[in-house]
Amino acid sequence: MKRPQLKREPHTLAGAYAMDAISSEDRVRFERHLARCAECAQEIASLREATARLATAIAQTPPPDLKERVMAAAATTRQRFPVTAAVPARSAWVKGARIRTRAWFHSLAWRGRLVVAAGAVAAVAVLGVAVVFGISNGTMRQQLSQAQASSQQVAAVLTARDATMMTGTVRGGGTVTVVMSHSMHALVFTAAGLHALPASRAYELWLIGSAGDRLVGMFPQPSGHMVGPVIASGLRSGDHLALTVEPAGGTSRPTSPMMLDLVL
Amino acid sequence: MARGDTAAFDAVYEQIASSVFGVVKRVIRDPAQSEEVTQDVLLDIWQDASKFDAERGSAVAWVMTLAHRRAVDRVRSVQKEAERERRVATADIPYDEVAEAVESSLERERVSRCLGSLTELQRESVTLAYYGGYTYGQVAGLLGVPTGTIKTRMRDALIRLRDCLGVAS
Repeated sequence: MKRPQLKREPHTLAGAYAMDAISSEDRVRFERHLARCAECAQEIASLREATARLATAIAQTPPPDLKERVMAAAATTRQRFPVTAAVPARSAWVKGARIRTRAWFHSLAWRGRLVVAAGAVAAVAVLGVAVVFGISNGTMRQQLSQAQASSQQVAAVLTARDATMMTGTVRGGGTVTVVMSHSMHALVFTAAGLHALPASRAYELWLIGSAGDRLVGMFPQPSGHMVGPVIASGLRSGDHLALTVEPAGGTSRPTSPMMLDLVL
Repeated sequence: MARGDTAAFDAVYEQIASSVFGVVKRVIRDPAQSEEVTQDVLLDIWQDASKFDAERGSAVAWVMTLAHRRAVDRVRSVQKEAERERRVATADIPYDEVAEAVESSLERERVSRCLGSLTELQRESVTLAYYGGYTYGQVAGLLGVPTGTIKTRMRDALIRLRDCLGVAS
């Protein structure tokens, strides 16, 4: 009975709770209430959309070395994943860098494979967060001829039942991550650490297969960090994903050696 | 761990680090501690990205909720009562600071306008709580208003802000 008003009218605490303007004891009590009150949880979620804007309104660029520290720490920190999530159980298998991402729950039975599969799920989650932030627009500066992905398209591929992730190494430097869904005939492509090119050259991404060579997109200058997510539609069974360096004006078919050749 | 994961995280960093740092520094004030907490928050996002659930809100809200809570927790655990009091005396800045910092973008302009549409008591409650890191009890004390009133004003204020900003629930 220390906090009679909380017991009587927990709902009035919604605003204070959404702003963390609440003692840790009250927070615990209110969260107990939230767990039983779907309506309250929904209100809190909506109020947090508002408080988030209070935060973004005062954005301030952190010192550059903070990024180095965070990225270095992330590289040596294993991602956590929810062990209780209900993901449809399917056969888990790992073949080279190819990972059936949606099957990690089932892979609990094979401890050796668990870490790899869980990492894949977390990677898709990070990609998903990247997409939700609208990273396909604006910040990357890449100019893609045919591949302006909408967030919804990308999210649809990432969450497809048959979503499969692959990673590959680019000759000369860089890694790519691909999440593909054959049922949706599409894949999502991201790349990191690609070498900078002279202004006269550009990277071109291709789907190559029985339907011929199809240009997915072109990016003249990786802006230092990451390219994508780029969506490639029209994926066919047996296609390869290839990356080449071409004249900056673009070519209609690959004319130089492949820097990357992934069998999809 | 696949290097592709870190690549995705790199992009996430670019998108959110300044907002995280901005709000953490506003609440904590001390630059070194703010960097430390910002780093913790970003690493948490890296580790717990799989917990993000798009059905329960936007990614921005998820991240900013975590960042703000961490900042507030740090302030409350670290600051001694005497320091708190001193801070209270100089805490009546936030709205003006926001108004000042706000001119650089339409988005900021919008937040500032919506804050401006609140009643004075609502606005003070929100700025002291969210930017100042105070509990509703402390805000009530600072403003000389009963706690029940402050709680109600906080909720009303956020509902108005939400509607003014047009953020879907």
